[in-house]
Amino acid sequence: MEETRTQFLASRLFFLTAAFWVLVAMTLGLIMAIQLAVPETYADIPQLLYSRLRPAHVNLVVFGLVLPGLVGAALYVVPTVCRTTLFAPWLAVASAVLWNGVNLGILGTLIHGMTQGREYAELIWELDVAVLVMYALLIVCVFGTIARRKEKLLYVSAWYIAGGLCWTAVVWVVGNVMWHPDTGSLSGISDAILNWFHGHNVLGLVITPAAVGVAYFIIPHATRTPIYSHTLSLLGFWMLLFVYTHTGTHHLLQAPVPQWLKVLSIVDSVALLIPVFAFLTNVWLPLRERIGRLHQDVGAKFVFVGTVWYFITCLQGPLHSLPVVQRLTHFTNWVVGHAHIAVLGFAGFISMGAVFYLLPRVSGRRLWSVRMAEAQYWLMSIGLIGFFLTLTSAGLIQGQAWLNGEVIYRILPQMSLYMVLRALLGIMMLTGGTLFTINVVMTIWRGQKVDS
Amino acid sequence: MIIHMNAKLIGIGTTLVILAIVVAVVFVPHATFEAAHRPSDDYRPLTTLEMQGRKLYLKNGCNNCHTQYIRAVDWGLGAERLAQAGDYFGQTPPMLGSIRTGPDLSQVGGEHTDDWHAAHFHNPRYPRPESIMPNFGFFSPAELRASIAYMQSLGFRAADARVRRQLAWREKAMAAYAAGIDQNIRWLHDLVPQGWRDVPNPYPATEVSLGRGATIYQRWCLGCHGPVGDGQGPAAAFLYPPPLNFTTLARHADSSGGLLYYQIMNGITGTAMPYLKRELESEKIWDVSNYLAQYFIGNNDANLEPKGIDAAYEPAAKEP
Repeated sequence: MEETRTQFLASRLFFLTAAFWVLVAMTLGLIMAIQLAVPETYADIPQLLYSRLRPAHVNLVVFGLVLPGLVGAALYVVPTVCRTTLFAPWLAVASAVLWNGVNLGILGTLIHGMTQGREYAELIWELDVAVLVMYALLIVCVFGTIARRKEKLLYVSAWYIAGGLCWTAVVWVVGNVMWHPDTGSLSGISDAILNWFHGHNVLGLVITPAAVGVAYFIIPHATRTPIYSHTLSLLGFWMLLFVYTHTGTHHLLQAPVPQWLKVLSIVDSVALLIPVFAFLTNVWLPLRERIGRLHQDVGAKFVFVGTVWYFITCLQGPLHSLPVVQRLTHFTNWVVGHAHIAVLGFAGFISMGAVFYLLPRVSGRRLWSVRMAEAQYWLMSIGLIGFFLTLTSAGLIQGQAWLNGEVIYRILPQMSLYMVLRALLGIMMLTGGTLFTINVVMTIWRGQKVDS
Repeated sequence: MIIHMNAKLIGIGTTLVILAIVVAVVFVPHATFEAAHRPSDDYRPLTTLEMQGRKLYLKNGCNNCHTQYIRAVDWGLGAERLAQAGDYFGQTPPMLGSIRTGPDLSQVGGEHTDDWHAAHFHNPRYPRPESIMPNFGFFSPAELRASIAYMQSLGFRAADARVRRQLAWREKAMAAYAAGIDQNIRWLHDLVPQGWRDVPNPYPATEVSLGRGATIYQRWCLGCHGPVGDGQGPAAAFLYPPPLNFTTLARHADSSGGLLYYQIMNGITGTAMPYLKRELESEKIWDVSNYLAQYFIGNNDANLEPKGIDAAYEPAAKEP
């Protein structure tokens, strides 16, 4: 028991981090949603400007909710699949503590307008460095654990987690242009190319591998069934690495950047279907007769639904990269809908599911309230489906109207209904997030001991 | 066959792959894309004041709602000129943007006058009642000046030409306004070619037309001209010359549907009155002209002769 306490202290801290920052991140989202529906709600308070909150919201969903949940899970998964204990657990604890400091820094700097103004790379240099330290500490723990593994065959979850951490560290340094501390940018249009290389990969090369790695552990674990094929997992892993990384320019198809780069990004975006379906086949196919086992555990259910959102997100992604589709969808709310199902639906559901699934294992206490988790599941599922439909519809209206020569201002009155719906659905999701916070805190504080 | 993965392969092998990809898709384009390294024809460097405005644009996250590039599929402001790689010459960072919650700004320079921008920054709903942009009333006077200067610089040399034109017309508009109410109206009317002034509003002032006119007035005009057309909208306090009081037009018998149409279509360059031909189709402009003439001027020539050819579906024209 004592061993569990120190061994998984970092996991518990990371889970608590997710449980706290989900509230902040989703509250920011709701504040912004209200502003889009009723623009003068908090007029002339610069710290609550929609345009300053947006990067704070995005960064805190990633660093506040999604990643801490997945990292906390990874710190359980990697030692488990290696049949050993976590290497240097105190470094992971240090990373968790630093992580919260960084989140505080993200919130404080961005709402005060301290930003480098590059999408997904807004953070000032000092915070960039701190994030890098966070990753470096985790890299030491993960690779140290792998180095002393007692299991000869390294399981696919560990590949993704270890690989993802290294890739994101590289992408972070390059993408934030950390050798230019003041501006954090290259000069001219090349910076847009780099910005979107980063914007695509900073999410895709840490969130995707972490979420896929964790799902690769939890789904077979919960159903007590091995994955379909080792070869398929190899294919998925290597294809993700080679294909995902070229696609950033599909955000700039209509911008003045080199044509060959656009072509490359479109081809590789479509090719992304291969690693996605390699992973989904691998975890879904063995479920054929065992899907009921997934539903016995609310955490596993969240993770499974995360893979369903992954399926939808990754059908959309390659489609969006086709110029003929992008003509309609680019610059519209459609893209915002896509971003929400990707980050909250896919990675967020897997992250929260992993927290529920692993919390009893890292804290030695049963989940405080399964009912509450179920309520959260439905609130967030309905909220997110509604969000997706609302924003996609709004995006189609905008896109069609613009193609027909309507100016932006003419379409704003038509957007109003969708912005109101969006805010209402945001209330559902924030309620779900609040249940998550209560559940995690109460489990660690008051949960029934597993032994007793 | 089972291929074994190991820490070295993951930690070193895959990381080298990522580095190779960075070189291929970031640094190769950076090095070989020549158009990125020389300014476009229109380009000029920003002044110190404009640079301050650009910093405020970045600081306040304006690029989270506004783009700065025109695409081949675009209509509207700036659509005449596609974005070029050299437009972003030397910008750290360039702010292309990824979503259009608000309009593209790459050619906004010279589109509006400074006083329009002052009202719009203070509360965007003053000149644009349906806008959802946040208020920037918290700007200090210096910040406001810098932000307006930056807006007027967008579009580089083409923007400079537009700004010069605005300033030239502004002098004339101020002189006309200073000369007195009726002289001002005289000046405004004389700007309209005679052909337009002779045309009555071809749409009958039906309840439907007037209702549509009211909707358009509320969405586009009310912020400056006020709910009762007296030029006392909330934006008026920021604007000089101030918005026209439509009720004074009643004193001028030569006001006509065609004259109103022309002024709404082309705007009054040099003043905050924008041209609306890009944003409103023909019938909508006629409808709002009907609304102005009927309710504010009290002198409507809708559906009067001379109409030329009778429109197929409309009621027969009335004799004047």
